[in-house]
Parts: sequence; structure tokens; C-alpha cells
Amino acid sequence: MIRIVWRPFQALAGNRPVLARRENVVPATQAVAFLLGIVVALILGVILLWTSGHSPAEVYERMFDSAFMGTDSLSRTLERATPLALTGLSVAVAGSMGLWNIGAEGQMMAGAIVATGVAMMADGLSGPLLIALMMVSGIVGGMVLMLGPALARSHLRVSEIITTLMLVYVAIRVVEWLETGPWKDPESFGFAVIEPVPEQAALPGLFGRANIGVLIALGLLLVFWLAVSRTAWGYELRLAGSSPDTARYAGVSLRRKVLTALLLSGGIAGLAGAVQLTGSAVRLESGLSNGYGFAGIIVAALALMRPSGVAVVAFVFGAVQVGGQSIQTLGVSSAISDILQAMILFGALVAVVFFNYRVRWTGPGGGSSSADPAEPDPVEPDPVEPGPVEPDPVEPDPVEGAA
Amino acid sequence: MNADYAVWLRGIEKQFPGVIACAGADLRVRPGTIHALLGENGAGKTTMVNVLAGVYRPDGGEVWVDGQRRFFQSPADAIAAGVGMVYQEFRLVPTLTVAENIVLGSAPRLLRSAEIEQRVAELSAAYGMAADPNRPVWQLSMGERQRVEILKALWRNASVLVMDEPTAVLTPGEAAELGVALRAMAEEGRSVIYISHKLDQVVAFCDEATVLRHGKTVATIDDLEDVDLTSLAEMMVGAAGGGYGQRPPALEPGPEVLSLRGVSALNDRGLPALSDIDMTVCSSEIVGIVGVSGNGQKELAEVVNGLRRPTQGRVMVKGQDVTDAPPGDRYRLGLAYVPEDRLGVGLAPKMSVVDNAVVRSYRSQRRGLMLVMDKCIKFCQDLVERFGVRAGRLHDPVAGLSGGNLQRLLLGRELAERPAVLVAAQPTRGLDVQGVAAIHGHLVAQRNDGVGIVLISEDLDELLALSDRLLVMYEGRVVVEYTPDVTPRTVIGEAMAGQVRA
Repeated sequence: MIRIVWRPFQALAGNRPVLARRENVVPATQAVAFLLGIVVALILGVILLWTSGHSPAEVYERMFDSAFMGTDSLSRTLERATPLALTGLSVAVAGSMGLWNIGAEGQMMAGAIVATGVAMMADGLSGPLLIALMMVSGIVGGMVLMLGPALARSHLRVSEIITTLMLVYVAIRVVEWLETGPWKDPESFGFAVIEPVPEQAALPGLFGRANIGVLIALGLLLVFWLAVSRTAWGYELRLAGSSPDTARYAGVSLRRKVLTALLLSGGIAGLAGAVQLTGSAVRLESGLSNGYGFAGIIVAALALMRPSGVAVVAFVFGAVQVGGQSIQTLGVSSAISDILQAMILFGALVAVVFFNYRVRWTGPGGGSSSADPAEPDPVEPDPVEPGPVEPDPVEPDPVEGAA
Repeated sequence: MNADYAVWLRGIEKQFPGVIACAGADLRVRPGTIHALLGENGAGKTTMVNVLAGVYRPDGGEVWVDGQRRFFQSPADAIAAGVGMVYQEFRLVPTLTVAENIVLGSAPRLLRSAEIEQRVAELSAAYGMAADPNRPVWQLSMGERQRVEILKALWRNASVLVMDEPTAVLTPGEAAELGVALRAMAEEGRSVIYISHKLDQVVAFCDEATVLRHGKTVATIDDLEDVDLTSLAEMMVGAAGGGYGQRPPALEPGPEVLSLRGVSALNDRGLPALSDIDMTVCSSEIVGIVGVSGNGQKELAEVVNGLRRPTQGRVMVKGQDVTDAPPGDRYRLGLAYVPEDRLGVGLAPKMSVVDNAVVRSYRSQRRGLMLVMDKCIKFCQDLVERFGVRAGRLHDPVAGLSGGNLQRLLLGRELAERPAVLVAAQPTRGLDVQGVAAIHGHLVAQRNDGVGIVLISEDLDELLALSDRLLVMYEGRVVVEYTPDVTPRTVIGEAMAGQVRA
């Protein structure tokens, strides 16, 4: 067996780049970084558009207009941003504990499945009551799908990344099975579709294509921002996420914190499914989640796992999607449009990383020649050797079980 | 003369924020010898070998390897110069095989597995260190993993092998095998730097030794056959007082506040760490726990505070059985704890000073569900003032504080709600003189105020200066109790090495 080992920086004669975390990053600079990254990406996008034979000015104008100008454009952006904000929050809640919910896509589906089932059984209810019931059942659906991964993580330390991801495909297959089997609409002329949700269950509109899902998402973001930053529960969550050993010492049950963070994460993604079902979709179908769950990972990462950031990032992400789609009417191919959208998000992500980390070059040569003499030694109050930090919040609680 | 030494660390100085780790320490290792590096924890051993391994750049002093002055910028430079490090915590990839781990980072561009495996097999045969190159590392015992680490250093043709506490993870049989392998390497002309607290093994395995104390070299021994265990122990703990001042006069001990009855516990690796510990602490007394590191002190503190489950026995606080109570309940009953690992267990480094100040008391800063920020800040300001913490901005991450201020904050937080018992583990390790004096002052004041204190330390001077009673721990047992005023330090030193004089 032969394997090739690539060592990219060897040619630089011992110079090595090291990513060092910047201390004291002001939150406002995050926003600046985010915008700067988008601007740089748009400038690079000029090359892409030129080489593919389009006028960058025209394309960018169309993108901007269709995403922001006028109530109709804005409403489209908000319509897109709503599920992104919810899935982004879902991933961020788990992320604040150092956990990765990769399966928001599946939990959306699970939420939509349960909400559809409830709607089928209770289609005689009045609109507001039915909608409320469907939202709650969406949350329950997301939590149910998360229950297995959450328990496996909290009690057996099974990686939630793998289990949540795998359940995405299970959820989608279940929808396909319902479409072709038990829930197949008898009045669909043989098409394998599920009957539409009752008319009174459609979310009331706000303006244009935006519906009260926007308010649900905003309200939930506000609630979580308050809960994480202002409550004792949120304090425990932050403590457990940032320093698990300290949390254990303070008497916080890590198991319970992991379990609640993951279940809430699943529940929020399930709610996203119910909102999508009653807001934008007509019926439950295998394409309902439409990648929003996976996009939520990007949203949460760009928002640095903070609820306040999720709102902004989801809005911009929504605008990029709406704008990206609109330029296809100018003859820009969907491939070029996708590349452009990806570049914008990538630009923002890179910029956020570089505003939080700096690159330091360690070079060969004399005594204490650091590439950056102003850089202080990493804070190392105890002269112990630095080891890799295991980002694993779940330690077995020795006395918890008996308590 | 430089060429005479395989390693010469000359006048090494290294400072960390608030901590002087090395203050001009020397280490000379001749080729073909096994050299013991001795000293209490915090004496600077680990810093010294990390300077040699390129992990730290020294603030002052010179590093010579094989007669050449070196300026290591990174561990890779040190490896290239022939320094091989075997850390206490192994740095292996569990899912890769033995052979893959050995060549990791130093592999040729084209990996020919068969060839590599054969060379690994030859290498392990040459030093009598059996290791199947094809097995994944996660299947190996601790002893086998250590062999892989050593083979990894040998693969890179290390001329100097540094072993940090190598026998801590080994069974006695494995330790003896390790001794044979190290000897084989020394006979080839390689040098071994051997850090250990187990003095009997040091005497058995090593040729020469350097003893560090408070970041300085206090003794170099060219031939270990000339010295015995007792005098080694004495050199480690120091002969004279540490200048900590007069012992505070003893008080009449009050009622019993903490007691352990027949407590046994396992360490993180599942091996016995405590066996059948009985101890009692009364109010208004300081009970010092003395012993060389790794004899169960850490586990003792954890068991008392509910962070480790005892396999046997009961723990009582103020007469109440708390053996099964979680850490929070014990704190509310009056048990405070300053853990050995300040940043990581005691404090959450990335969270703010305020957030860290309320780790124990945030439940009482609530109104309904909400945490009242004004109350938290007030609580934090009180702490900062009462305990003289120089904290800068209270909303900045606590990791920015110096070592002494971190410890003042931590101790202050634990004392804020007037506990009945305080367990303080290594409370002054790594602090500067002022920091040490401040912590000592607080401990004595608390004792005078009626708090019963368990002081775990590896600094014998500190324990002699503060303790009312001294319990010696050796291999997980309390082997003997001494009264500090009347017991000669040599007697205590011997007991620490496991030789209790009747």
C-alpha cells in the first residue's frame, strides 16, 4: 500500500503559520468583519461574472434590488430567513455547549411529520388553535428524533455528530414512505403526494410573502438570547459549555445540561419544520426541508453560536439566496449563481475567522525572534505543559447517579 | 568542554504571568547516562524539559545539545536536533496502528507499509520492547503505549530521550522492563532524562541526578551510588526553613467538621489511589497533607468534594454523611474547595471575572428565573476588595489575571460564604512571594476564625509553617501523623519516601 503525504509548508524553510486566538475581540468588529468579507467576495465575484460573460454591475444591482428593494423583495428575503434563523438557532443552542447538531434537516422533517399527522386528526379545529397545536407537535417531533442521539451522547458519550446526521436520512425516507403508502392522498390522481394541510392551518401573512413565522423566529431568538445571557439556567449552560470541570465542581449536572441542550436544539429544528409546513409549503413532502437544516450549521457558525448573531446572519443568508435566484432571470446559469452565493458566504466565514484569530509565522533563526514581538506569551499561569484541549463536555458524574 | 555533555541547559530562566518557573536552573547530562531530574511539583522540572523540547523559549539561559548551542523555535526543531520527549499523557492517535503512530510526522513522502512495519519490528526487537506494528493503539495497555512513544523517539533517532514520570502508568513488572530498555539505550550512547518522584526507582535506574527547588538547581549528583534514599529525599524537600515566618500559635481545636471513615478510591486509570483512609479535621485547625505528588492527594481532595466516587467508606461534613451528595450540596453544607487545577476546575478561563466570582453562589443571585446582574457584580466587587484581587475590568475573561490574583479570587470565592471546612490543594504553587504570603495570611485568619482547613501541599516548608497536624500520605494511605514542631524534617522526608521511622 502506498500513500502520498503532502507537506505544504515544508518548502518555506521552517516557517510555519500558526493560528492564534485574538484576545478581547469587540463584538462590533464581528459585524464589520462579516460585511467586509461579503464585500471582498463580491469584488472577487466580478471576475467570475466577467469570465462567464455577464455585466457585474447589472447582476449585482438585480441581486440587491430583488433582495431588499420594496416590500415584495424584502418579504421574500424574510420568508427565506425564517427557517434559516430557526435552524441556525437550533444549531447554536447545541453549539453553546460544544455540541454539534448536524441533523437539524432531519428534525425539521420529523417536526413536519408530526405536525401533519396532528393536522390530519384535528382538521376540524379553528385556525389559531390548529396552528398552535401544529407548532407544539413540530417541537415534539424534533425532540423525539433527537431523543436517541441526546441520550446516547449524555449517557454513553456517543458522538452526536454521527447520530444526528444519520437520522436525517431516516426522516426523509419516512416521508417518502408516507407519501407512497399510508398518507398517500386518495384524490391525487395517482401521484404519490400527501394531502395538503388544512386551509385554516396556513400561517397568517404579514406582508408580501412574509408570514408570522418571522415573528415566531424573532420571538424565539429573543427568548433564547435572554435565557442564555440573563438566567441562572443560561449561566449553567455557558459554564458547562466553556469549562465542564468547573461546572461539575459548581454542582451542575453535565448530563442533564447536555440532554436539555440537545433536546431543545432538536425541538427548535422541529418547530422550523412546522413553520415551513404551515408557512411556505402546501403539504408534507420529501423536499420540504430544502437544505435549511444544513444551512443552519453555516448560520450558527457565522453567528459564533450567539442568538443575536443568528438573526443578522439568517437575514443576510436569506437575501443572498433570494438575490442569487433572481439573477437567473438575467441568463446567469444556476451553477454560476450557486458559486456566487457560496463565495459570499465563504468570504464572510473567512473574514469572521480572521477577525477572531491571527496568523503568526514562526520562523527559524535567533533566540527570541518572534514574528510578532508584541504578541504576549499565551496565558499560562501554571507552568504545566500545554496539551491539546479535549472539547468534550461530558465527563461521567461520579456522585450524580446516587443523588 | 561543551562537547562533554549530551545536554547542557545553562542558567535557564522562564517566567509565566505571575509565576517564576525557572530562575537560572542548570542541567548537565553526560552521553550514555540515565539522568534523574528531581524536585517537588512546581520546582521547574517540567518547564526545564519543555525548554529542551522546544515547547517553551527560555527568557534567559542557553540550550546546548551535543556540544552545539541551539535556539529551538518549536518542538520540531528539538526533534530534528535529536531530543525525544515521552510525555506523561501519551500523544498517540488511538485509531492508527503502532507503525503509523511511530512514523507520524516523520514519514517519508511515500509510505511503504510493509517496509515500515519491518523496520518498526526490528527496532522493537533491538530494545526488547515487544510491539506488534499492526495493532491499533487503542487496543494497547498503558505500558505498551509507552513503548510506542519510546519507539517513536527512537525512529527519529533521538540521542536524548526525556521521560516525564514514566512509571506512573506502569505495573511493577513493566517498570522493571522499562529500566532494562533504558539501560540498553544508554549503553548505545544515548542519554535519558528521567523525571520521577519514585525515589527507589530513581536509585535503581539512574546514574546521575539533578535536584531542582524553586526553579533553581540545588544539587547535582554525579554518581547516584554515593547517595541513599534518605539524603535524596532531604535534598528534594530542602534542609532549612523556607522563610515562611513564624508558625502561628495553635488554638484549641473545636468540634469535628470533616471526617473520613475507611475511604478507598480509584484513580482515573482505574487503579487503587486511596486505601482505607481515616482522618478527622476539627474546626480551628490546619491539617497538612504531605507526600510526594501522585500518592493519592489529588484523589483525596476529589473524594472529599464529591468529584470522585469512593469505592468504600464514608465522608462526613459536620456530622452529616455526604458520601453520596453532589458537590453543590456539600458546598451548601459548609465545605469549600480550592482545587489544585485553578484554571480548568476552579475557574472557567474564558468566562468573565464576574461569572467566575458567582460559580458557587449564583443560585442566590436570582430573582425568579433571572440572574440579577447587579447583584452578581456587587458580589464580585466585594470579593475583589476584601481579598485584594487586582482584576482589571470585571467583564473581561478571567484568564487575563495573573496567577496570584486568580488564586486570591478563587480563595475569596470559596471563603465568601463562611464555610466550616476548607480543602486547599496546592494553594500557593507557582505564586510569587507576595501571593504566597497573602494566601498564607488568609488561611491562618480563617483558622483563627474557626474554619477547619485541610492543606494539601508538596512544599514541606509551607506545611511545617502552617499545619497544626501533619499527615503523611504514601501510596494512597495515611502512613503516619506528626506534630510539626517536634518532628525533624528528615524523619518526615523519609516517611514521604515510604520509610516510616517508628
